[in-house]
Amino acid sequence: MNVMMRDRNDIRRSCFSRVPALTLLSLLVLAGCGREQSALNVAGRDAAAISLLFWVMLVGAVLLWLMVNGAFLYVSRFAPGRFDERHGRRLLIGGGIVLPTVVLTALLVWGLSLLPDSRTPGDGLVVRVTGEQWWWRVEYWPEGATEPVVSANEIRLPVGERTEFRLLADKVIHSFWIPALGGKMDMFPGRETTFTLLPDKPGTYRGQCAEFCGASHAWMAFVAVAMEPEEFDAWLQAQAEDAAPPADDAARRGQAVFRDEGCGACHTVRGTDAVGQVGPDLTHIGSRLSLGAGRARVTLDDLATWVAHTDALKPEVRMPSYDLGEDELRDLAHYLKGLR
Amino acid sequence: MTEERTPDRREDQKEFAEEEASLLKITLGPLIWAAHFVVCYGLVAVTCAKGWDIGAVRIGLGGLSALALAGVLWVGWAAWRQWGVTTTGDRVNRLGSAEDRHHFLGHAAFLLSIISLIGVVFVSLPLVLIGGCQ
Repeated sequence: MNVMMRDRNDIRRSCFSRVPALTLLSLLVLAGCGREQSALNVAGRDAAAISLLFWVMLVGAVLLWLMVNGAFLYVSRFAPGRFDERHGRRLLIGGGIVLPTVVLTALLVWGLSLLPDSRTPGDGLVVRVTGEQWWWRVEYWPEGATEPVVSANEIRLPVGERTEFRLLADKVIHSFWIPALGGKMDMFPGRETTFTLLPDKPGTYRGQCAEFCGASHAWMAFVAVAMEPEEFDAWLQAQAEDAAPPADDAARRGQAVFRDEGCGACHTVRGTDAVGQVGPDLTHIGSRLSLGAGRARVTLDDLATWVAHTDALKPEVRMPSYDLGEDELRDLAHYLKGLR
Repeated sequence: MTEERTPDRREDQKEFAEEEASLLKITLGPLIWAAHFVVCYGLVAVTCAKGWDIGAVRIGLGGLSALALAGVLWVGWAAWRQWGVTTTGDRVNRLGSAEDRHHFLGHAAFLLSIISLIGVVFVSLPLVLIGGCQ
């Protein structure tokens, strides 16, 4: 008896202790519905179409649920017993065949009519994005450009213009998705896919790889910034420049660490002898809004942590963790932070 | 009663031979739907991969869709007549007689042709609503 009592108390206690945990969990899940990465926070023409479709389907689904359960309640509670055959047949044919056919046809026609919109040609700017494990190689091709402006892990777009995306992947399939701006598009190795996005609200949003692509798939994100066209042009012009030379002694020491550790074998810093193509271009890493494809912030601390514990931050990433002294790490972070 | 239930091989075979057309009719609707589906999806995929003229293929498949719809409608009409609900007034044909089975097979073919009609329409919709290979 005593044992049973204790068990029951244990169970009760563990149930109660789960309540705050569940609340916390649901809060975390709800926090995922924040503004940066939410299809409900509409900031583009394409996302608006998807959002409207979503709300209509949600309301429609709730209405259908109420109707089905209402009918069930009616026949089980209010009118049990045999149905008149004529009546029953009409209900079955109307509710079971005609209604679903009409609803599905309407949704199919609507959904199909939305598809061509996201494939309308762009207004000039082409952005090529290649999905790597686990980061994004980005090239901006303004209209008439003969060579691209290379960047990584950040997408910037002019507001009010339709930008064309040409998507590729390196080794495995990824999916390119900025929920606030529009729908997803898969990225395949060896096969280019194309779609366009038209942002209409300036702001900072978050993109995320939406196709499982390996150990660090969840850490394959990026910051997407929609900017006024003049601002965008100025930004792109600055991005096309070579890297800023180290501004002080610490940065110069950092650059020496960068060179001595062979970072340039994988990373490009334009204007220096670092021309590696394996990893992200770091020419303007200091001005980016995230580090390691949305993994951390571009602060001195995060830069140092990233270099020293890359694999801990991004499991199975190809970049090795570097066993450097504290001073070296600080100088290196300083140098990278200065690449604006 | 017992005499009726005694299985008679020859009679069964005769009935089966007579109902061969009914069995064909049952499969014909879904068969048209399936063939239309395969031709539409296959041809569009190959056209887009090879860079053929999608406009011409679209028109051709539009014609094929019209043919498929006409075929399904014809099957549905023939099945409706075989079911004979308007003349006999019997919807479900519960009895096990040969005539009842004949009506029932018409009923089943009619319902399948409705599904096939919806299927062919749904498969055809992208031809109308999505222009090219994009």
